[in-house]
Formats: sequence, C-alpha cells, structure tokens
Amino acid sequence: MFPRREVTRGTLVYAFQRLVLITFTAVVVSSIVFIGVHQLPGNAFASEHRATAGTEAALLHHYHLDLPWPQQYVLWLEGLAHGDLGESLVNLGTQITPLLLREVKVSVTLGLAAVLVTIGVGMSLGVLAAIRQNTWVDYTASTAAVIGYSVPSFVWAFLLILLTVSGFYAWTGGAIYEDIGWGKIEQIPVPALALGLPYAAIVARLTRASMLEVIRQDYVRTAWAKGLSARVVILRHALRNALIPVATILGPLVTGIITGSVVIEYLFGIPGLGQEFVTSILSRDYNIVIGVFTFYAALVGLANLTVDLLYPLLDPRIRY
Amino acid sequence: MATVVPTTLEVAEELQIVGGDQLPEQVTLWQDAWRRLTRNRMAVIGMVIIGFFLVTAVVSFVWTPYDTWRQALGITYSGPSLAHPLGLDDYGRDILSRVMGGAGIALSVGVGASLVASAIGIILGLLAGFYRGKVDVLISLLINISYGVPDLLIALILVVLIGRGIQNIILAISITAWLGMARLVRGQTLALREREFVEAARSIGTKNLKILSRHILPNALGPIVVQATYLVPAAIIFEAFLSLLGLGVPPPAPSWGRMAVEGYKAIQIAPHIVLAPCVALSLTVLAFNWLGDGLRDAIDPRMRR
Repeated sequence: MFPRREVTRGTLVYAFQRLVLITFTAVVVSSIVFIGVHQLPGNAFASEHRATAGTEAALLHHYHLDLPWPQQYVLWLEGLAHGDLGESLVNLGTQITPLLLREVKVSVTLGLAAVLVTIGVGMSLGVLAAIRQNTWVDYTASTAAVIGYSVPSFVWAFLLILLTVSGFYAWTGGAIYEDIGWGKIEQIPVPALALGLPYAAIVARLTRASMLEVIRQDYVRTAWAKGLSARVVILRHALRNALIPVATILGPLVTGIITGSVVIEYLFGIPGLGQEFVTSILSRDYNIVIGVFTFYAALVGLANLTVDLLYPLLDPRIRY
Repeated sequence: MATVVPTTLEVAEELQIVGGDQLPEQVTLWQDAWRRLTRNRMAVIGMVIIGFFLVTAVVSFVWTPYDTWRQALGITYSGPSLAHPLGLDDYGRDILSRVMGGAGIALSVGVGASLVASAIGIILGLLAGFYRGKVDVLISLLINISYGVPDLLIALILVVLIGRGIQNIILAISITAWLGMARLVRGQTLALREREFVEAARSIGTKNLKILSRHILPNALGPIVVQATYLVPAAIIFEAFLSLLGLGVPPPAPSWGRMAVEGYKAIQIAPHIVLAPCVALSLTVLAFNWLGDGLRDAIDPRMRR
C-alpha cells in the first residue's frame, strides 16, 4: 500500500536530534521531580517503620539520604547515566531499572493494542460515514463518534466489564466469561477497547471530514471513470490521501492513550508502569516515582518520534 | 445636454434601502454568534443539560434528599426503590443524593479549573506571542517539556505534595491544563500583532499593556471561549481520574469518580452503583462537548457568510 522510501541522511540526522531532545526532556523532568521530592519535610523511614535511631540512620545512609540534596542529586545523575535508577524505598534491595523495564513492556503491549483499536475502529467508522454521507449510516456513525469521545475510558471499562464478565457469564451459564487480569492473550482486548474507544471516536470524525474532501477531487473521479472497483478507489486512492490530516493527531493521541493507561491498568489490575506509579505514589516510594517519570518521558518522546518518522511514508512530500 | 447625476442618497431612497425597516439590523459579532448558536440543535440540547446539572449542583449545596454522607439508610446494595430512586450503595448511602452532590463537585472543579487554566494560558500565550524573543523561547520550552510527560502524572504528584482539598485539585488540574490555551493564544497573538490596527495603536503611543488588553485579547476571544468550553469536560474527566486512583477530593465527598470505583467492587451484584455516577458524568461531558462544537461553528469566522 505504501511506496518504498529509502532512509535518507536527513532522516537519520533528524532522528538523532530528536533523540537528544528526548533524553534532555527525560532528564529535566525527572530532575524537577527529584528536587521537588527532596524538599519535602521528614524522611521516608521516620514514622512508618518505627525504626530505632540506629536502623533509621543506617537506612538513611544506605539510600544516601543523609547527604545534602545537591550531593544526592549528583549521585543520582551518575546512576542515571549508567541506566541505574536506584533502589526501592519500600522494598529494600529491589532494583528499580529492571522492575520498570519489565513493566514498560506490559504498558507498551497494552498501548499498541489500544492504538490498533483506535485506528481500526476509527478509520472504518469514518470511511463508512463518508462514503454513505447523509444516510442513516452517516448519522449513526457520527452520533456514535460524539458520544464515543464524551464517554471516558474508565466508563467504557465498566461497561465492557459488565458485558464480558457478568453479561457473558449469565447468558452462557458460566461457559464463557472474561477473566480480568493480565498474562493471557485473551485478556488484552477488553482493556485495549476501553482505552482506545474514546480516541477511535476522534479518529472517526477526522477521517470522515477528510474523506469527504478527498472523494470530491478530480483524481478520484478519474479513478471511478477508469472503471476501478469501489474497493480500489476508496482504499487505494482516496483513503491514502485522506489519512494525511488524520496522522497529525496521532502524536497527541498516543500521549492521551499513555495517560489513560494509568487508570485502565489500575482498574484491570494490569502490572504496567501506570499501576506501579499509583502504588508507589500512595506508598510514598519516591525513588520509584522518579524512575516512572523518567520512563514515561522517554516513552512519550519515543512514541511521538515513531509517529513523526512514519509520517513521510504517508505523505512523500514530507522529508526531514 | 446636462445630465442630472443622482446623489447617493437619492439612489438609496429610490432603492428603498434607507430609513425604516429596510436598513439591515445592526448586529455585533457576539449577537450574531449567539443567534447561530441557538439555531444549532445539539448546542441547545447541550445547554439545557448543562443548565439542568448546574441547577442540581446549586441545589445540592443547600439540600439533597438525604445527607450525602449518611450511611445505613436501608439494605446495602439495594436497587432503585420509591424512597431511594437510584438505590443505595455499599455503605447504604442514598445514591441520588450523592449523584447530586457529585454534580456540585464536578462542575466546581470543571468550571474552576477551566477558568484558572485559561487565565494562566492567556497570560503566558500573550507574553510569548507579543514579546517574542527570549520570553517566547522560555515559555515555549516550558510548554514543550510539559507536553513530554503525561499530564495525569504531574497532577497526581502535585496532589500528593499540596493536599487533596477541592481548591488544590482545581490548582493541580489547572497547572497541567493551560498548555493548549497558551499555544492557541500565542499563535493568535503572533498573527494579530502584525495587523494594521495594532500598528496604528502603537503609532499613537499606546502602552503595550493596553495594546494587549484592548486590541489583541478581544480579537482572540472567539477561539479562547471555544477552548475554555472544551477545558471544562476535560477537567471533569481529570477529576474523575484522580478520584478513581484514590487521590481526588477526600471521602466522604461524593465525587463521581470515587463513587464509580467504590461501586466497582460490587459491579456484578449491584451495577447501579457504578452506572449512576458514570451516566451523570458522561452526560455532562457530552453536553459540554456539544456546546463547544456549537460555539466553534458559531464563532469560527471561516463559517461566516
């Protein structure tokens, strides 16, 4: 479907510049959080663990918390340069980097599935609405789109859980029902749908609008006149150009899906970065909180970079 | 032979476009926009729904059928009945009263955060667009860095740092929500500052502050109003996110997000506990989105005849 494009020198330079910027953002963001957190009064072990003065001092020393914060910051930066985000404050001995690397895989899997839902459902609805403009198909799809993006992901989650857990269980007498959790392939679609549907609605609206513009253009009329089949005209000729404006929102959309995944992971008990962030912030495990910020900043940056690098595939006029 | 050239006034009288009812009615931009807004069916439905929830919210501050916090009013998890039209929750609290109270919280947070975020965004956007140079570089850098992190994380950590009171929630949401508004106002200001009327104002010695407030801001107000409208539902959803994660307005305040996640535990035996706040929240968000779409179409100059 897409023309072959070779990777030019310009693309490589562009990607490199962006990677530098992403690293910079990740370091700045986590530094702000690091410094902010270290201004908080008290320390992580003061009250909760009821430690004796000796153990408390030993713990503080273990985490370098007995040093002034600028010195701690330098130590932390050194660790960061080696990819070491330190140790959990709550679970002594748990290294943060491998923990978060494991969790980021889960989050990325869920996120990619949600992006698939968004693009698949959104584009199909948008194309359908456009080629059947001003018919009941169009009205239904357009109304569904407005309602779709007004219903937040967590409400979709509750509705889908009601349908697939209680609903399927009751209707099939317990033969089929969704097992909420993570680890099996069949547990991916429901949270992915909940996460992706609000954004699918936005994609549907945009696809419809840009398809309507494109299918009135001369080259599409020519394609019809040549006697090409509807499938080829719509999918090959019209949709490819109609996708260009749609692709511009992929960046914000990916950021939105990453944000939404915090809530969805929490509700479905999915062991990803979002769930980790919520648990560690509630248990005041600031070392993990800072680490999650670093990971998320890198994730958002890389996701946006991927979108931007895919963009020239869609629109050959764009070169970096 | 001399011809009598009719004056403009005479031509006008001939064509009957002067005087009386023939003169086209004078309407300002905003009257015109309002007229088009009220002709938009979805926008009107949206305004009616918003009005309904606004009245509910105001009423809930002084009266609800039962106290929103009072427990053990009847059998826990019991479904809708005459005494409790939306049923009771896991502590035996009246869900209708709590949904009403939730409207108060949602709209306070939504409208409050929209106003505060708009104020921050407008001021920073005006400064960046008008002074350009170093100010712009600094503000744009701040915006770009903030876009690099999911806003929910920033809001969550702010809430942990500054506390969970309703003002703090509004503040935390505002601090993450002003980016879009600042970008929009910056772009508008960059375009407007080059226009002739701004140059004219500057040539007669008008002070920068007055140029910003009297000449640039009013001309950018249309898109600002649309953006501020869309900020309300976004903030309402955000507050629900915070409450879901246990970091919203502290219990027993009846936040819709909190109610939904409390009901989630019992979703199989008593789905009404989850559904009531979810329906109220989705309806409110839908209404604001309809109003925002209507406003956008009514104000957008490209749509003008």
